[in-house]
Amino acid sequence: MAVLVDKNTKILVQGITGTQASFHIPRAMKYGTKVVAGVVPNKAEKNYLGVPVFETVEEAKEATGAEASLIFVPAKFAKSAILESIRANLRLVVVITSGIPVNDMMAIKHELRHSSTILIGPNTPGVITPQEAYMGIFPDNIHKSGNIGIVSRSSTLTYEVILEINKAGFGESTIVGLGDDVILGTDFADILRQFNDDPETKTIILIGGIGGNYEVKAAEYYKSLKNKKPVIALIPDDSPLLSDNEGLAPEIICRGIMTAADKRKILSDAGMIAVDGINALKNELLHL
Amino acid sequence: MNIHEYQAKKIFRKFKITVPCGRIAYTPDEAREAAQLVSPSGPWVVKAQIQAGSRGIGKFSDKRAGKKGGIRISKTLDDVYENADEMLENQLITNQTGAKGRLVSRVYIEEFIKTERKFYLGLVVDWVAASTVLLVAPVTEKDDAIVKLALEHPDKILKIDLGLQKSIQQKQFQLVLDFMNSDFNADELRAFLNNMLKVFYAYDATLLEINPIGISKDGSIWALDAKIVFDNNALYRHPEIDKLSDNSEIEERELIASKYGFQYKELDNGIGIIVNGDGLALSTISQAEEQEIDTACFLNLKGGVDREKIAASIKLIMTNPRVDGIFINILGGFLRCNLIADGIIAVANDLGLNIPLVVRFEGTNKDEATDILQKSGLPLSIVSDTREGLSILKSAIAEDL
Repeated sequence: MAVLVDKNTKILVQGITGTQASFHIPRAMKYGTKVVAGVVPNKAEKNYLGVPVFETVEEAKEATGAEASLIFVPAKFAKSAILESIRANLRLVVVITSGIPVNDMMAIKHELRHSSTILIGPNTPGVITPQEAYMGIFPDNIHKSGNIGIVSRSSTLTYEVILEINKAGFGESTIVGLGDDVILGTDFADILRQFNDDPETKTIILIGGIGGNYEVKAAEYYKSLKNKKPVIALIPDDSPLLSDNEGLAPEIICRGIMTAADKRKILSDAGMIAVDGINALKNELLHL
Repeated sequence: MNIHEYQAKKIFRKFKITVPCGRIAYTPDEAREAAQLVSPSGPWVVKAQIQAGSRGIGKFSDKRAGKKGGIRISKTLDDVYENADEMLENQLITNQTGAKGRLVSRVYIEEFIKTERKFYLGLVVDWVAASTVLLVAPVTEKDDAIVKLALEHPDKILKIDLGLQKSIQQKQFQLVLDFMNSDFNADELRAFLNNMLKVFYAYDATLLEINPIGISKDGSIWALDAKIVFDNNALYRHPEIDKLSDNSEIEERELIASKYGFQYKELDNGIGIIVNGDGLALSTISQAEEQEIDTACFLNLKGGVDREKIAASIKLIMTNPRVDGIFINILGGFLRCNLIADGIIAVANDLGLNIPLVVRFEGTNKDEATDILQKSGLPLSIVSDTREGLSILKSAIAEDL
């Protein structure tokens, strides 16, 4: 077992004929991912990359039994593609697309609250269960199967963490990239719960990101969790090079311009092990 | 994307939000003329137009402006002329501009409106809740009063979650009225708030601030300031807003990178860092700090896939005179390492490679990329992790000097 995706997950790809999907999907299939259909409105092809192509998600779901959608469509069309998947009641939707307007995401989140779909992303590398399957754009040569669950708001930092912990002999149950955008389909809490319930996962690594107080919400949730597994939270220090505040007062009140140290304090007060760098993370992992 | 106050006020006017009469001026003479057109007898307010807040309590870098800030009440036409003269072509430094400040290329001349009470009004997208929030707070003349309040007494700021509502509901409005507890026309305030929301949604704003609104003796409500931040990802829906972008305040390299969809930032002297993600940028910069290496600038190529754009952006770092060594740290996923390798070679062939360069590739197309660099015969080091890369770069720079 793992969380969200395994080798049996039947996946459809929205925007399968685009350049990026054409590059990444064959790699994912070779890895073991069960891609069963493509969806392209006004499709020209009947088959692509060896799978049937449909005009709508509903049709693809009906014909192939797909339960999850991987979305590659351009930002301008992402809103309707995402809403289509949510309305087709897919269990899981992973959105690779970046640059989706904030207003579109607000509308999507609103609809998401009234559905049972789990939306991962947007602007995410995706979800991977090593040596089984992945939905996304992962480099396929760096993950190793193991019992560490990773949930992250920073895609590149995740790769860095994986490389380091694998060197130290660890491996991953599942890696969930929540996305690098400011509005996330799913935040830490949901994934923490899934990892906590997953028998394969022994330890959880949480990697923070920039903008929004998702880490604070994660701390609140973790505090309330019973029989919790250990969580190591990696929150790297801020750099003046990366601060891009829009307006000071609203940032403080609504978006919590918090220092990395503040976030680490809140997370460790909630019972997590909070660290500021990859070396510290590795040390904590070795001492668990 | 930001716009200037006078541009935001033009939008306000279009949406029937009351703003004082004003005109823009690029020279002191124009300022005097503008003042005469705006109000026959004054007083006037001369306002430096830069796309950053706290202008009133800011200071100019050139001493000819004295110690006064970027917003000045002027009683005579000569005062208007003098104030405009002191502000124009001067750098205004506020707590939001950084130490260098921003160049004032134009001033806004406005009629002075006498108001009895002032409030801060803000609409902002709360990322975590994915909803729009209305903020209301009493403020003083000082333009950083709201920031102080947010830091010290957040409980004194009224915060109403509006979700996706396009207008304010009666119950919510009553909360605002009770909170403000002022003598003014309630219908006018309600229309004012709803018009703010209209602007907010019509243009895909992520932030709309009026700091402050003023309530005059007769109870009318004025937007004395205006700030709108637009969602860059939605600008394609608003070409008329996109046109307003004023790039004169942005560093040229930053501008070029952002045109390509990348992020470029500059600090001081030191190494140049090229990465492909925010988290990796933070982690690389902080590991550089641990090794006592200063960072001059960094370039975030995000999930770039365009060969030419990547090469052009790498050039930005390689041609920056403040950079004494370069660390390219790429963990390819969406972005493929071979595109970076091609970019490095294209730029090096074009300009030569005169400073130490260390490259680390992981992920998508790593082997192909490593191969390309090795065959190129360029004097660069290829490493396998961040720490190693930084320490090799550090010694290479030491030798280079």
